[in-house]
Amino acid sequence: MNFYIRFLMLFLCGVVQVFFAIHLLLDLGILQLPSDLMFIPGILIILTSTVLVLSYYYGNEGINNKLYDEYAADRFYRLGNLGYALNGIGLFIIFSIQDYQNWDIQIASNMILQIAAYAWLVFGVLLIWFAIGDYRESQHG
Amino acid sequence: MGKNHYKLLNNLEQYRKKAGLTQEELSNEADVSRKSINAIENGIYVPSTVLALKISKIFNCKVEDLFELPKN
Repeated sequence: MNFYIRFLMLFLCGVVQVFFAIHLLLDLGILQLPSDLMFIPGILIILTSTVLVLSYYYGNEGINNKLYDEYAADRFYRLGNLGYALNGIGLFIIFSIQDYQNWDIQIASNMILQIAAYAWLVFGVLLIWFAIGDYRESQHG
Repeated sequence: MGKNHYKLLNNLEQYRKKAGLTQEELSNEADVSRKSINAIENGIYVPSTVLALKISKIFNCKVEDLFELPKN
């Protein structure tokens, strides 16, 4: 593992999440959604997390001291907090704008898609933000 | 004192330059990334106790020589 590989993995996860979010929100019609394809962003995150966790515990110690140092942890913590805050606000708004008087399965289904799109958008943008910032700082920061 | 975090003043850059070390060399000795050293020097980040002690050990000085709390 190195800064470039971590950048590529996190950037890819972020871009895929943003793509799926925009696809759902704007109904782009490129993919057949909703479908099993919606597992792709989650599978990518699970695979990336697995690789990062394995590299953290079993990778080269000298490289890991730099890759997973306290400044990177602080950065990740602050962006994660921002993500949770934005997600909380977004979920509150999504729940608030629903038409509960005429509630039916179609509205419920749309709400689930809105939640998925919003969460993907927030965490996708934050992943891209982290990946670019992390790599740029490792080179020039 | 150099560029400072509002919670912590630091002399790291002066000590590093006096020791003839680059940020990269200091980061290798302290087992952190170069950006961590850069962030501390520029007052963006407050180091942990362990890192502050490691750096002071490298320069063979007290932690208080490198870092101090603001007066107010």
